[in-house]
Amino acid sequence: MEAFLQSLTVLLTPSHLLLLVAGVLLGLCVGILPGLGGIVGMTILLPVIYGMDPHNAFALLIGMVAVIPTSDTFPSVMMGIPGSSASQATIMDGYPLARKGEAARALGSAFTASLIGGLIGAAVLTLIIPIARPLVLAFGSPELFMLAVLGMSMVGVLSGNQPIKGIIGAGIGLMLGAMGDAPAVTEYRYTFGIDYLMDGVSLVIVGLGLFAFPEIIDLLIKGRPISEKAELGKGWLDGVKDTIRHKFIVLRCSIIGVVIGFIPGLGGSVVDWIAYGHVIQTSKDRERFGKGDIRGVIAPESANNAKEGGGLIPTFLFGIPGSGSMAVFLGGLLILGIQPGPSMVTENVDLLYTAIWSLALANIVGAGMALILSKPITKLTVVPFNYLAPFMILIITFACYQATYSWGDLIALLLMGILGWLMKQFGWPRPAALIGFVLAGNLEQYLFISVQRYGMGWLARPGVIVMAVIIVASLSASIVYQRKLQSAGETVKETVKE
Amino acid sequence: MKSPMKKWFPIFLAVVCTLILGAPAVQANADFSGEQITWIIPFKVGGGSDVWSRLYAPFFKKYLPGNPIVAVKNMPGGGSITGGNHFAQRVRKADGLTVFGSSGSTSFPYLLGNSKVKYDFSKYHIVFASPTGGVAYINPKLGVKSAADLKGLEDELAYASQGATSLDIVPLLAFDMLGLNVKAIFGYKGRGSGRVAFEQGEVNIDYQTTTAYIKNVRPLVDQGVAVPLMTWGVLDDAGKIVRDPVEPDLPCFPEVYEMVHGKKPSGQAWNAWKAFMVAGFGVQKAMWLPEKTNPEIVTAYRDAAAKVVADAEFQEIVKKSLGGYTQLPGEQARKAFEQVLSVSAEDKAWVLNWIKEKYDVEVK
Repeated sequence: MEAFLQSLTVLLTPSHLLLLVAGVLLGLCVGILPGLGGIVGMTILLPVIYGMDPHNAFALLIGMVAVIPTSDTFPSVMMGIPGSSASQATIMDGYPLARKGEAARALGSAFTASLIGGLIGAAVLTLIIPIARPLVLAFGSPELFMLAVLGMSMVGVLSGNQPIKGIIGAGIGLMLGAMGDAPAVTEYRYTFGIDYLMDGVSLVIVGLGLFAFPEIIDLLIKGRPISEKAELGKGWLDGVKDTIRHKFIVLRCSIIGVVIGFIPGLGGSVVDWIAYGHVIQTSKDRERFGKGDIRGVIAPESANNAKEGGGLIPTFLFGIPGSGSMAVFLGGLLILGIQPGPSMVTENVDLLYTAIWSLALANIVGAGMALILSKPITKLTVVPFNYLAPFMILIITFACYQATYSWGDLIALLLMGILGWLMKQFGWPRPAALIGFVLAGNLEQYLFISVQRYGMGWLARPGVIVMAVIIVASLSASIVYQRKLQSAGETVKETVKE
Repeated sequence: MKSPMKKWFPIFLAVVCTLILGAPAVQANADFSGEQITWIIPFKVGGGSDVWSRLYAPFFKKYLPGNPIVAVKNMPGGGSITGGNHFAQRVRKADGLTVFGSSGSTSFPYLLGNSKVKYDFSKYHIVFASPTGGVAYINPKLGVKSAADLKGLEDELAYASQGATSLDIVPLLAFDMLGLNVKAIFGYKGRGSGRVAFEQGEVNIDYQTTTAYIKNVRPLVDQGVAVPLMTWGVLDDAGKIVRDPVEPDLPCFPEVYEMVHGKKPSGQAWNAWKAFMVAGFGVQKAMWLPEKTNPEIVTAYRDAAAKVVADAEFQEIVKKSLGGYTQLPGEQARKAFEQVLSVSAEDKAWVLNWIKEKYDVEVK
């Protein structure tokens, strides 16, 4: 407890606060730019932290990484383009809201949800530390496989009354995800002798190709501003009220976010989809999902900020990063001379608390700044898109080029973009393909390990059975609400088509 | 990744340096005044090799003649083969402005004769090398109290592996030479997840690099849930494998071999193991200059490396972040790497055959 408060007083000294704010500002910028996420931000900061005091470096690094899921909401809501992989699901309802002229409301509620989610993440992180090690250790390969299956089961909800298209879409995603070197054997798949394909296609390229590219093309064809109404409608304050009204969604989704964050290996890229799928599954009135239901914004936004707190646990306690940005953060720890491990909760506990306080403070500062910024930025939705398009195309190309710095990145973006546009035209659910892509590696790797290690015995593990029950229950809940689900599905399909 | 910061900061510094230094007073043979040196690291930002190069880079700036900026350029892909091939095929100048950082994952496909490899370490000039060590440990439930109990252990052991052609050749071949019945479970990503699998009981024999062992496995040893077996050892000046100075209480692999078999290790398996151990641990990471580099530039680099290693501030970094192993500058590195380059064709063929027979994996 003493260390807990001491870390706070250290963090509140002006030099620390200044670094924290600097980190937050960088995080906001990186988040707003489509396709750039935590990995890029961490990479920018890595050379800077060399020789810094660890507490200072933490304020900077965590300040940056904590607010990316806050500001990446801007492009997701306003243009239907994922700001980073954490906000892909926000598009589903955030973008329709923006087109109705309610961008300010969507952003207001998203930032409030981000703020609360981030704070819940930090709080859970504090409480969970004493039992974090056994908790993480409870997830062996068979359990991780079942978690990935749970992620895949969201495809059902996200493809509405088009189950066949959803399953095929997910299959396309799985195949895309299988490209490159196989996770468990020394083989390369679908590389066609092209060196670029040896490492598969990067998530940034698939995400931007499937979602950003088709949106830009369609907006250009229509030649209109993003918002279909000239005025901006309801203000951000209504959004804040919306979030407070749906406080239980925020709480549930934040917990989903923390849990998925701290389980190493699943990666944070599906947390927003799982939260989004969860909120649809547990809602009785689903008619408006996909058309601009504010709950569809609140759910992923509270989960993706909470995830960052969870993600620190495996990185600190086991030295195994759960996401790309945490992998770079781990490198940062080593540069600072900190070896992660069990000693993080004993001799280095002050650092852990600095991390938690930085996370909480950064969320407050970040959400505040994003709210202030939202007013001028929402005006962009009434600007004719022809003026915005060249800028957006430039940024997206730039972001994709960050993947491997080769021509292959641009070609891959173009191909993915064409695939995404075709899927949109013909009403194929793109989220299904994306979820398949993200989970392909995990599904294969953990199934392979489970079978090698336990034979068929892995099916009898208690964790696996519990998870199987959850999956069956969530799927049958969907079927029970079939009728309502169908209407929700239609709306999802409509958005996909529009 | 190339951030705006990284791009402009060196240029800014270069301008400042030029202004401060003015015209160079002494016309040395090798002078990098106002230049920028690019250090290609064939791995992602934040990985072990990236951290290693970033720890070294500022000290090379300090000691290379003319104090050039040393900028790390990450070129990940193909398990470091992409970056290695780039260095081999595109970096041909003699000016010493581009250097390459290799790791065990770069040396292994080279040793195994992977057809994708276009680089050839026998042609390049090594500047310095950084060793690391490995510690193997086992689950005490098997009744093993130390390496001496390994003799005749018949239980099926499980080891979390990253692949039959990865650095895991060293532990897997060692276990095999000791007559242990170890099943390699493939598909794990990195030693960290292997360690977690050990703690979960998913596997029951594992190894970690010494640095990770000290922080993460020693607490397990204290709790009685892990028993340390042996280190892989380190190369001494005479090219012999001796006890690891970081864990001197543990026997090294050749000693354990003797405990189990009653004789010193020899033969093709041993030759092969030694070559891969040196490539993967003994000189795990190394800095290289291209083939046609001017001799005086090679000398300047090697002199700088010797000064870096002797620097008091750098020695602190070695202790804190590089496992405390004696770094090998210039001639020492060259001599140690000889062990990797001098592996005979028969010994290589033996390993390829062993991988094929045991794991049904062919190196293409």
